[in-house]
Amino acid sequence: MTESSRWPLGFQSAAIITIDFNDIHGILTQAPAVAGRDKTLSVWRYGTLRGVDRLLSLLAEKQLKASWCLPAIVAEEQPELVQRIIVDGHEIACSGDRHEDFSTLTLEQQIASITRGCDKLAQLTGQPIQGFRTPAGQWKPGLAQALIEQGIRWSSSWRGDDLPYFHPGTRLVELPMHYTLEDEPYFAFNLSPAIPPGQSRIAPYGETLDNLTQDFRGFHRFGLCYLLRLHPEIIGTAGRIGLLRSLLDTLQQHNVWIATAQQVAAHWQSQPDNGADHPAEVFTRIIGENNA
Amino acid sequence: MQQPGAVRWPQGKRGCMALAFDLDGPTGDAMLNGSLWSTPEYFTFGAYGPYRALGRLLDLLRAFQLPATFFVPAWVVEQWPQQCQAIIEQGHEVAYHGYRHESFWAISPEEQRAVMAKSAAIFKQYLGITACGFRTPSGDWHAETPQILRDAGVIYSSSMRGDDRPYSIPVAGHTPLVEIPGKWEMDDYASLAYTRQPDFPKGGDRIASYAHTRDNWQREFDGAMDEGLCLTTLFHPKISGQPGRLLLLEQLFEHMTARDDVWFARCDAVAHWYLQEQQHD
Repeated sequence: MTESSRWPLGFQSAAIITIDFNDIHGILTQAPAVAGRDKTLSVWRYGTLRGVDRLLSLLAEKQLKASWCLPAIVAEEQPELVQRIIVDGHEIACSGDRHEDFSTLTLEQQIASITRGCDKLAQLTGQPIQGFRTPAGQWKPGLAQALIEQGIRWSSSWRGDDLPYFHPGTRLVELPMHYTLEDEPYFAFNLSPAIPPGQSRIAPYGETLDNLTQDFRGFHRFGLCYLLRLHPEIIGTAGRIGLLRSLLDTLQQHNVWIATAQQVAAHWQSQPDNGADHPAEVFTRIIGENNA
Repeated sequence: MQQPGAVRWPQGKRGCMALAFDLDGPTGDAMLNGSLWSTPEYFTFGAYGPYRALGRLLDLLRAFQLPATFFVPAWVVEQWPQQCQAIIEQGHEVAYHGYRHESFWAISPEEQRAVMAKSAAIFKQYLGITACGFRTPSGDWHAETPQILRDAGVIYSSSMRGDDRPYSIPVAGHTPLVEIPGKWEMDDYASLAYTRQPDFPKGGDRIASYAHTRDNWQREFDGAMDEGLCLTTLFHPKISGQPGRLLLLEQLFEHMTARDDVWFARCDAVAHWYLQEQQHD
């Protein structure tokens, strides 16, 4: 049941660690009702205060590089932290200018946010920005071409596959996500206002580690791309960072290529275009038919 | 616990396991209200099922020699015909599940008839089959629905929840419709599904432990087989066909096939056998 390897140097599978560093802007976009509520905002500010440090020191200990997705406003507000991320050799990708909710923006406004965001991040980091993640999930037709014109080489915004693929009609690489490989569905919590809205219990840590480990075993068995989506304020607590350490221990005991998003995207340029029945192709074709 | 006159399964088996999957793909409420076309992230989440998860799931079923029924909205067949043809080629059943996963509770009898007719034409055109089974999308139906289903050539449904064995739903002018009830306890959405926008389940509930989920399923299976019942599943390839969950299914199938007193059957075989048994009584 294994599929033939698509990875360099004889690696059986690939893994990418992405970290969404949004400070309070991530939760403000997702739950605007939190504005002005300092106690609630401090739950998300915790990532900036403590979580980033724990992640940086764990990644240094494991000698791993991650891809950090952030809106420019976070880099403007936390320049010293962003410098530390860069000095440690990690990749910086763009999640817009101010972490806008893209579902409320026109294509032109989306492009303006990305252009401003990438320009500011490039200036602050001294690096060209090659990666993009939609701030709050949505994407207007035409955005892929605009990203390419902005110099973006990869996106990690859509789902639909266990392997990278191309945005239709381009060689812009999509590194697809799975809710199962995110920390938020297990751990995000606030009492008032209620986040998540049904205020379900925080999941047991040990069982969550077991799930994420079993997910990795599945991705590895089939030779796929295991992409973690983590948040400093969620995974970066004193109790949870050990969970991530255990998971990374497991990864490092396997023949897996742990690489940055940019490295995987560059490698994926060697792969053929999507088939016509790929979810991204089907979506784009139907959108085109609806607009015709 | 088995009652006198209760069904007894073929081949002298004690219990009946009818594995079933709902291959919804990206169909459902967001497609019906049009919001899907501005959310590529959610579309691709759903399309993952038929495009990527299904093939691996079919491999797993073949490895365990297990038959299954796939309830498939006809729109999914139109978009991924080759993947759906593979279901048939591997000896599994394809049955009705709406065109775009319409709730039969929310649409009129005329619309229900139109959905059934359109689905039948698509199944014939792309798969070369005439289906005989139905699972109502999104839960409920109307009092007229059993008649509409029998008129459309459907002999069984797997739509209800409230029993442990197949039972008859009388339909005027026809043999009865056989109902093979499912259970929320055997629905992977209840334990493992998570999406944020739209939020399913409502409230953004947690993803349960895989090990505990498997333990729950195994207890339901063992209990049902010990009591001589019929158990079916509401599993979704986009949810439990992801790589880590496929390992969960592998462990579950190992557990199920370790018993030799279980009749593993497609839902259509269960329905045919039930109708035959009823004639003897």
